[in-house]
Amino acid sequence: MSTLADSSAKGSRVRPAGYGVLRTGPAAFLVHRRAVGMGAALLVLLAAASVLYLCVGESFVSPGNVLKVLLGGTSPDELVVEELRLPRLVVALLVGLAFGVAGALVQTVARNPLASPDVIGISQGASALTVAAMTLGVTSYSVLPYLSVAGGILAAALVYLFAWRGGLHATRFVLIGIGFAIALRSVTTLFMTKGDYLVAQQAQIWMTGSLNGRGWPEAEVLGPLLLVLVPAIAWAARAQRNVSLDDDTATALGVRLGRVRLGLVGLGVVLASVATAAAGPVDFVALLAPQIARRMTRTAQIPLVSSALMGALIVVLADLLARRLFSPTELPVGVLTAAVGAPYLIWLIIRSRTVGGSS
Amino acid sequence: MSRLTTQALTLAYEDRTVVEDLDLAIPDGRVTVIVGPNACGKSTTLRALGRLLKPKSGAVLLDGSELAKLPTKRIAQQIGLLPQTPVAPEAITVADLVSRGRQPHQHWWQQWSDEDERAVTEAMARTDVTDLAERSVDELSGGQRQRVWIAMALAQETDLLLLDEPTTYLDISHQVEVLDLVRQLNHDKGRTVVVVLHDLNQAARYADHLVAMKSGRVVASGPPSEVVTADLVHEVFGLDCVVVPDPVTGSPLVVPGAPWKAA
Repeated sequence: MSTLADSSAKGSRVRPAGYGVLRTGPAAFLVHRRAVGMGAALLVLLAAASVLYLCVGESFVSPGNVLKVLLGGTSPDELVVEELRLPRLVVALLVGLAFGVAGALVQTVARNPLASPDVIGISQGASALTVAAMTLGVTSYSVLPYLSVAGGILAAALVYLFAWRGGLHATRFVLIGIGFAIALRSVTTLFMTKGDYLVAQQAQIWMTGSLNGRGWPEAEVLGPLLLVLVPAIAWAARAQRNVSLDDDTATALGVRLGRVRLGLVGLGVVLASVATAAAGPVDFVALLAPQIARRMTRTAQIPLVSSALMGALIVVLADLLARRLFSPTELPVGVLTAAVGAPYLIWLIIRSRTVGGSS
Repeated sequence: MSRLTTQALTLAYEDRTVVEDLDLAIPDGRVTVIVGPNACGKSTTLRALGRLLKPKSGAVLLDGSELAKLPTKRIAQQIGLLPQTPVAPEAITVADLVSRGRQPHQHWWQQWSDEDERAVTEAMARTDVTDLAERSVDELSGGQRQRVWIAMALAQETDLLLLDEPTTYLDISHQVEVLDLVRQLNHDKGRTVVVVLHDLNQAARYADHLVAMKSGRVVASGPPSEVVTADLVHEVFGLDCVVVPDPVTGSPLVVPGAPWKAA
């Protein structure tokens, strides 16, 4: 054991390895350097994917022309890019961002990568109420998103209630969530079979998660909402750090665990539900994005900004493929994300069994 | 003088009462060791002292105010606590984990200060983990990991430090190392330390003030030389033994009898 440490004499900086300090006036923020680098790289990739998204379609538009249209210039491709592809791209981006953040928050609180909103019943709750409303004749987009959010929150509250037994055990939370997800799916199916044929078909497509025909009306709801939630997300990024330790240690460090957890889950549920309302439950984005982001940044907790960008990247690329893969037939984007996500989910379950539950 | 005391403290897990009507005063600037057989309520008591467990009745008092009524962050600036089996986030580095101890001194808009830097550097040097700073906690040995956790609790820089069986899972040299560190901390900085131990000899060796518990009650408390007697060991642990002076420290040393040899 060494006896005394003189930090100034040693002159070594021990601030958490890999972090830098960002100072502005009296404020000082810890930023993970690798996470910042990854965020920047993801941003570049996302920009490239977005331009590609606007280029590719039934007719090819050159990247130069795409940029010209985006910068407000006139081009013969203006209609295709600005009216057809851009609105859908914006929805894809926003939905991806929202699912990425939502997954990161819920997975953090449950301390389990399986506990993402689309596995533990939140997306299914949003779907169930939305489809129920659709089959009962509510089709207005000014009402459906709110029903979707209500459904998501309701499902989350039920899972929370049933999983609570003097404390929140991660594994129980996930298992009960999966149970609710299955139950809510069958409720949704029930409404679809009971409903009018055309509505059922429409609901079916929405259910798979599709961006077909989505555009400004959806973006106008999603965009401002995400903007309003930005301060909350900034708070969450810090709060996440505090809940990543075990309960006793966190409490001993003065963290009000109950409140912080509720805040984080609540925010995650709202984001997932809102995104579901816009594009349907695009499966597995909320599950995949945070885990990939975390592996890339190697942070001790799931990085929020990188998760958000990764979510957006996944949805944009998946939708691009969904549009073009079997063209002219278009796949719902959820089919593609599920094709990648489902094997990953199975791998996670196998791995968590051998490791012993939560990680 | 005692900043941390309990008054008629009763603790329970759901319906099962574990500690009943406990009056305890932790002497300031001393090392207090709580000792007793399994399930005697010693860890439960420590958890209550660190507000991890709410009293069923009675109270824990810090400077005369009820712990349950103080903001948890303010408590965290006064009392540090290391639980029995803390869990580190996957792939966290040593320096990152130790720096989490600064949490109660930070705000969301003030996430790192020179003071934080100094406290973390000092805590890591003191526990001899400076060289491990960039390593992942997952890949450390049990002894190293325990030192890292203690460093985290030290970085919190509280006047009171509570440690719940900090020697569990460590081999004997690491056990001694951790307990030496505890003594040193108390000696250099005059910190008040409360440690839960199940090894009576270690307790007698390292404590200024010993609290022996059985079935949720304090059986005896005071300096080890007065508390540790053959009668007490029989009463608390149900063990027949001889108590001799420790050849190194002079503190009482419990040597169990050998009924298998007599026969």
